[in-house]
Amino acid sequence: MADRISELSLVQRAAQELSGGQLVALGPGLPTQIPGVLPRQGAIWFLADSGALGYVTQGTDEAPASSVDSDGRPVALGPGGTVLSLVDAAGMARSGRVDVAVIQTAQVNSRGDFTHWTTAATPGQFIPATAVDLAAGPKKVIAVMPHTSPEGKPNLVADLEFPVDGVGSVSTIITDVAVLNVTHRGLMLMEMAPDWRMDDVQAISGVPLMPPPDMGEMTFSITPARSPSKVFQNGVDALFDLKDGATVLIDGFAGPGGMPHYMLVSLREQGSKELTMISNTAGIARIVNFGTPPGMTAIDHSILIENKQIRKVIASYPVSPRASKPSAFELAYRRGEVELELVPQGTLAERLRAGGAGVAAFYTPTGVGTRIAQGKETRTINGKEYLLEQGLQADFCIIRGHKADTLGNVVYKGTSRNFNAVMAPAARVTIVEVDEVVEAGTLNPEEIVTPGVYISRIVVRPKEFSPYE
Amino acid sequence: MAAPKTYLTAESALADVFDGAVVLVTGFAGHGVPQTLLRALAASGARGLTCICAPAAPPGGVAPAFGVSQLVAAGQVSKLITPMPAHPEEDGPVAQQWQSGDLEVEIVPQGVLAERMRAGGAGLGGVFLSAGAGARFHQGKELREINGRQYALETPIKADFALVRAHTADTLGNLIYQGTGRAWGPVMAPAARITIAEVDHVVEAGGLDPEKVITHGIFVHRIVQRVAS
Repeated sequence: MADRISELSLVQRAAQELSGGQLVALGPGLPTQIPGVLPRQGAIWFLADSGALGYVTQGTDEAPASSVDSDGRPVALGPGGTVLSLVDAAGMARSGRVDVAVIQTAQVNSRGDFTHWTTAATPGQFIPATAVDLAAGPKKVIAVMPHTSPEGKPNLVADLEFPVDGVGSVSTIITDVAVLNVTHRGLMLMEMAPDWRMDDVQAISGVPLMPPPDMGEMTFSITPARSPSKVFQNGVDALFDLKDGATVLIDGFAGPGGMPHYMLVSLREQGSKELTMISNTAGIARIVNFGTPPGMTAIDHSILIENKQIRKVIASYPVSPRASKPSAFELAYRRGEVELELVPQGTLAERLRAGGAGVAAFYTPTGVGTRIAQGKETRTINGKEYLLEQGLQADFCIIRGHKADTLGNVVYKGTSRNFNAVMAPAARVTIVEVDEVVEAGTLNPEEIVTPGVYISRIVVRPKEFSPYE
Repeated sequence: MAAPKTYLTAESALADVFDGAVVLVTGFAGHGVPQTLLRALAASGARGLTCICAPAAPPGGVAPAFGVSQLVAAGQVSKLITPMPAHPEEDGPVAQQWQSGDLEVEIVPQGVLAERMRAGGAGLGGVFLSAGAGARFHQGKELREINGRQYALETPIKADFALVRAHTADTLGNLIYQGTGRAWGPVMAPAARITIAEVDHVVEAGGLDPEKVITHGIFVHRIVQRVAS
């Protein structure tokens, strides 16, 4: 048999699977070496079990480092990198936001089930760390491991020797002799290490391997990745794929602060109809009217209702505080033009947070015994009554930040943070309207509130734009 | 005026820790461990503790001079709830007591553990999570299909005390962290009845930029300055 490839080569081959702009979660062990082998740092977002996001290098001995990777080794944050609490990191992994997770496994079977860390040396130990979390959410899971155990037994097995940590999760396996894909018919051998023959790989595998139509040889060079630009020239362009019938989150509190006025006007101009709008109010800033110049009205969610673009509203505060001055939503509702789902403000925030964090549903005490509880499951837990509420997710989200860097990291100003931070992760495409775009690395990593991972598009509010009309 | 939250010694801040208390402890792979508070907890002699924390000893990181494993070694911990009790090849007190059965260990995947604490801190009765679907971790749990996918009901975690390592506190208990020292603090602080912060610096209220505060003083009851070991 030919030589097995080195750990470094294995890591380089794994790095070939990644491309610019992706969010890649790296578990402990071999995966932590991936950032160090890339020819260009910073184009791929790496997420470590420690909460480091957008870190670039590894292995400095300078102490004390303020950030560490999944193995606890010091790392530096790259330009635009930041740190997450582990509940936010877990939400990012669970919600499907992670493009690729790279996990070191002990064993994988032909269905893509894996055991993470339990081995013959530690048969009774279940050590999931983050592997169980990473098995559940990411779009693709890559397993990396030596092809055989230290005792020479195959790590590709028909049946896992130890209980499974992730079911059907792994799609690609990279070992020190081969690259394999998990298919519905079993493991397909895609590439072999230089000078290896299929019989030799089969001989150290515990399951039958299928030959591919076109066998490749493992290579180890890595093409430098680039991350795509997120900055759009104007609001309408940034809404190019927003179609009729879409569900759209639009932030804002009661007054004019923290509202994406320019994007609201852009959405009116873009003209999509039959939208479901999820927002705190359905447009009362123009009634509250703080600071509006005489003879003008504040731009708010009402402009979309007046333009007959909204079919349904999910909101906590859809009505005017003044009976004599009904909101555009109230008038449309009375005419039967829009539907309403009423949600208490805190529950709305929690449902959005759940939607963005991969929490399907949760029990909350809010609304028990009120009309909010009608038609919902209730449950007594430790003597207290709760309602079951579902997570909310949307196709698009439009938020208002103060500054963004070119990677989409956002900071806010004062209470204009309101629903922005909780809405951004809850949509497939999130567009931020900001006063200013700065270079990546300009924002203090400790200060970033919404990580760029959650921002797809950035639009700068034109200097001459007025929030009144 | 609110009562002052700053304590002169870690021992005085931990004076009411009792036998059998449930204690959350921050730190990831030896980073962000509240060592001053843990030393005081060891000195308090409290026993039968349930500690909820990340690995007491890290696989690749630099082990803290004083961590939860020292409490385990001293026989003060009866139960550990953690995503990773010890490195598989390690032979420390946690691994030994785990194998011998002297230490009860409940293993919870890291993201699930974080979410359960968040639920406890946010007043939720439980959350449905997909992590672990079909795997051993789902065994014995209430499962439910939601939108075509299988989820398990996870219950909230609430603790008696949280020992949180942060970088700077103001006198009202607002906290900022440094780097991945942030890991567990923001989620543990709201999940305990009494949260005690160990910090490098204490500044006057107003001394922190309000846009940068990560953990709000509402969740922090006592502040202790770190003592270099």
